[in-house]
Amino acid sequence: MITTHPLDEGLRIEAARIEAAARARGLSFFELVFEMVEPSAVNALCALGGFPLRYPSWRFGMEYDRLEKGRHYGLSKIYELVINNDPVHAYLVSTNSRMEQKLVMAHVCGHADFFANNAWFAPTDRHMLGRMAEHAAWVRDCMEQHGQEPVERFLDSILSLDTLLDPFAPLSEHLQARARDEERGSAVERARRSLDAAMAPENRERRTRGARPRVPSHDVLEFLGQRCELQDWQRELIRIVRAEALYFVPQRMTKIMNEGWACLWHSRLLTGGLLEASEIVDFADCHSGATATRPGQLNPYQFGLDLWRHAERRQLDLFRLRRAHHDASWVDELVDEEFAARHPLFAPAFMPEGQAQGGWKTLKDRIVRDLAWAGTPRIELVDDNHKGAGELLLQHHHDGRDLELAAAAEVLKSIAGLWQRRVHLATQEQGQQRVLSSDGSEVRVEREAAA
Amino acid sequence: MSLSRIERDRNRFRDIVRGRLREDLRRYLSTTELLGRRGERAISIPVPQIELPRLRFGDNNAGGGSGQSAGEAAQGEARAGQGGGQAGEGEGSHLYEVEVELEELARMLGEELELPSIEARGRSQLDTETLRWRGIANQGPASLRHFRRTWRNALRREIASGSYDPHAPRISPLPEDERFRFCKPQSRPQSSAVIFHIMDVSGSMGREQKEIVRIKAFWIDTWLRSQYKNLEVVYIVHDAVAKEVDQDSFFHLRESGGTKISSAYELCLQKIREQYPPEDWNIYPFHYSDGDNWSARDTERCIGLLREELIPRVNQFCYGQVKSAYGSGQFKKDLDGALPGTDRLVTANVNDRDGIREAIRAFLGRGR
Repeated sequence: MITTHPLDEGLRIEAARIEAAARARGLSFFELVFEMVEPSAVNALCALGGFPLRYPSWRFGMEYDRLEKGRHYGLSKIYELVINNDPVHAYLVSTNSRMEQKLVMAHVCGHADFFANNAWFAPTDRHMLGRMAEHAAWVRDCMEQHGQEPVERFLDSILSLDTLLDPFAPLSEHLQARARDEERGSAVERARRSLDAAMAPENRERRTRGARPRVPSHDVLEFLGQRCELQDWQRELIRIVRAEALYFVPQRMTKIMNEGWACLWHSRLLTGGLLEASEIVDFADCHSGATATRPGQLNPYQFGLDLWRHAERRQLDLFRLRRAHHDASWVDELVDEEFAARHPLFAPAFMPEGQAQGGWKTLKDRIVRDLAWAGTPRIELVDDNHKGAGELLLQHHHDGRDLELAAAAEVLKSIAGLWQRRVHLATQEQGQQRVLSSDGSEVRVEREAAA
Repeated sequence: MSLSRIERDRNRFRDIVRGRLREDLRRYLSTTELLGRRGERAISIPVPQIELPRLRFGDNNAGGGSGQSAGEAAQGEARAGQGGGQAGEGEGSHLYEVEVELEELARMLGEELELPSIEARGRSQLDTETLRWRGIANQGPASLRHFRRTWRNALRREIASGSYDPHAPRISPLPEDERFRFCKPQSRPQSSAVIFHIMDVSGSMGREQKEIVRIKAFWIDTWLRSQYKNLEVVYIVHDAVAKEVDQDSFFHLRESGGTKISSAYELCLQKIREQYPPEDWNIYPFHYSDGDNWSARDTERCIGLLREELIPRVNQFCYGQVKSAYGSGQFKKDLDGALPGTDRLVTANVNDRDGIREAIRAFLGRGR
């Protein structure tokens, strides 16, 4: 088990001071729970995505192994870990110095505010800590019933599909649902109506079978979960994997903003009177370590922080920005000529060969493009009855970056194995149209003229 | 619960890596990748990090035109954007170093090549006596007093007699509380083996030939090491004269000139006589050459040495003939012709790296 400890008296007082200062400056967040853990425990937690109870998987073991080696050789150190949950859980590492703990706690306040207020986090499950534990227990049971190997194999094949989601759908569904609810009047009335609807005989059937998913759709995982011929446990595993993947999507979509926001607030709060004079130099050292960057590299902490400072200079409403944007839209909104002229990432001398002549606009466009679909290739299911033979056709919306075809072929095999009919993926390789197609055991690559 | 869950995940991961390694063993049998990675008890093997296939961006053929480089650079940025602090999915193809115990590697090799385990020769096994601390006694010299046991007994006695006060804990051991370590001689059967790696380093043995010898020697060592607790290795090189060298020069030396194989056999015999009496040692000479000897007369002499002196003394004599551009390959024919049906002589051809596997199997497949 991963053991955590409560904070000692002194740190509890600091935590309360920092929280109070954060709220006084306009941050708002759910209750914050700090827990103290040993370095190896934080590595374990980090490998598990932050959650102490996850289903058994070798992938967590691999990540843990990597982190432990990094710690052993002094290559990497984790200062904190924070989970988007209500209450927000944050882990502090016992080897941090007192100043580092203060920095980390202030940093965590920034993250907590971001989780609570950024629109893209609104649809996330705020009781994920419990939900993950439920999933873990369920998968464990499932392994006992059906054997570890088959469940693990199925789980792996589903996990390799967990980027086939629509990162933007949850928010719009969330907003629609809220709008509907508001139309329908009071909570009591709504509850009665939905109960009536559920009890009506003609609806019951539909409710249990689930609505027929729309095609075209980006949510391939949902489609497969509903439409494939599967056993119940397999269907449930797909649901679990999809729920967990959707929970993490907003963090991928807002990495730069979120880290930048947390850095902005830890520096504002700590230098605004929370540091002792003797801690200032260590603080500066630690802060600049986190925001250090090599030429031509994008450090999300540093890039995010610089963009927030730039927004401040332009006298924009920071709180509104952090509510509405995700990384791609935010970079698109904020990076302008003035920022490019100041920022080393856009300095022509540091740009890779061949990019300098395009100027800052080209690089900005490229960054926005790279961030656009939560950093993953945009794959859409465009036809569920391809060639009239019930085959699936997936379309990769090519944006100039090719897919890694070997991996894509493996993924396609998994999908075809689930669908039990042929599955096609239309993409491009170096400007040429390609269609990969698999029947579950082998993969063909066809060159086709653009349709 | 003995293992934490994350440790169980880690063990599962390691099992999977070992499985991969086993699948790839065939490849390692013909490359130099593992050489020089051997420690005292374990070997660290680089295996490609296991990764779930995902739809992701990537270059399909690295090293395209010059237009490619800009794209790659952009890739780097995208990664930096994602990598950051979050413990997300591992990306790219990192190499993962997996530590495998030599015994385990040998076991994999044995399974892959279906090697029988070696039966040591039917001579009395060497018994070694060691002293081990394996008991506790009531009497003994003060220098061997077992502190913890003694104090524990004293504590126990005082608690039992009610004289122990937890607020002012004071314990004084009486003579009957004292315990002492004592040792007992233990005899362990032990068998020892010596390997002679003998290599022809005349001008005709090129770099590729030496690599092959190197790979082969590595696997043979690994296997025999798993079979014998105590293994010594002697390296002998020869052209027209033979000399004993250390491991490093064995693999890197490049001599030139003629070849007199008998010189090496004589040196080997001399070492056996002086240092490795067959009554105490299992002896495995391995000779690698391209099969060119200086003269038929010398080959005669070699055959004589083998028949009269060497073969009676050794478990098995192995001759591996590495194909080279210059060698005639005559020596193997001569051996096979002169010593047909000799159990303890194994000869094998290694034409290229892929032949290493078969040669190892031929050498070690007899369980001798």
